Amino acid sequence: MSRFRPTFFIPLIAFLGLAIIGGLALQGTLSGSRNPNQLPSVLIGKPAPDVPLPLLQDVQAELALDAYRGQPLLVNFFASWCAPCRAEAPALEHLSNQISIIGIAYKDRPQDTQKFLKQYGNPFVAIGRDDDGRAGMAWGVYGVPETYLIDPSGQIKWRHAGPLTRHVITSQLMQKLAEMQ
Amino acid sequence: MIRSCLYILLIGGFVIGAGTLMPPLVGTATAITAEEMLADPLLETRARNLSQKLRCLVCQNQSIDDSDADLAKDLRREVRAQLVQGKTDEAILSDLRAKYGDFVLLAPPLAKNTMALWLAPIGFLLLGIGITLGIPRRATVPAPSPISHADRAQIEALKQNHKTASKPDQP
Repeated sequence: MSRFRPTFFIPLIAFLGLAIIGGLALQGTLSGSRNPNQLPSVLIGKPAPDVPLPLLQDVQAELALDAYRGQPLLVNFFASWCAPCRAEAPALEHLSNQISIIGIAYKDRPQDTQKFLKQYGNPFVAIGRDDDGRAGMAWGVYGVPETYLIDPSGQIKWRHAGPLTRHVITSQLMQKLAEMQ
Repeated sequence: MIRSCLYILLIGGFVIGAGTLMPPLVGTATAITAEEMLADPLLETRARNLSQKLRCLVCQNQSIDDSDADLAKDLRREVRAQLVQGKTDEAILSDLRAKYGDFVLLAPPLAKNTMALWLAPIGFLLLGIGITLGIPRRATVPAPSPISHADRAQIEALKQNHKTASKPDQP
């Protein structure tokens, strides 16, 4: 062993260190516990933003999230022009049996939204119109679909950016829901 | 030793100076359209300044001033709307931070969890200087000793030998 100078091992140790870090990150990504593209929402634990929105069915009426206090609530930002929203439509349909879901049509034309709902189903108890995306901004939305879980007291408990997959629902959403009950 | 230290400082100073003082050579193009601009040139300048500090969350490595993404456009409009309302630059930045988090700022704020990020470059510079100064300069190679008379005679003999040996092969 004395044939090697101690500096001989520096690159080897450095490589092993990097390999371990990379391996852990890769393992996290593959198991779904770590997603580098997911921005953490800063609104977790804060009350849901209260931006007045007209209802899709009746522009004169306003969407009031307060009316749904006392029960867990999902808020789903969607748009007819968003392909992943179509992909998650069956998952939302299925979820609507367990929890009330509010839809917010993000930067969409009302007639397109209506067509989308007719084609892919309407899992929502109420639908608000966010024509210019200002409500989305208040919620920290950076792309559709995005889904927020609100607890009975009106606090945001969880946010998922991107389509709701079976994996996301079973590994994250259901856990959060169970914590609430 | 002192000279190499001075060189490091000189180059470091030049890099930092060039980075901060010179106007950027690239990235002067902007995605902003004429109808987005504010009529008040003072407010518009502030809007542009703010836009360059804010990250487009869709493209993630562009400022909202550079990005053509829809969300960047919305954020530019929001910044201008808040400016027109008379909000200060700080108020606008903190409002967007409350919605999107620190990530919306292209330059992360100096905080407990970003300390390593900000201090690591200085640490690495010091480490580099330490290593540079710590490694002993390689000793100058001693001049080779002149060839002795006996060796020279042997070389000549070998040369002669080689010549006579290779002669028959030549035409």
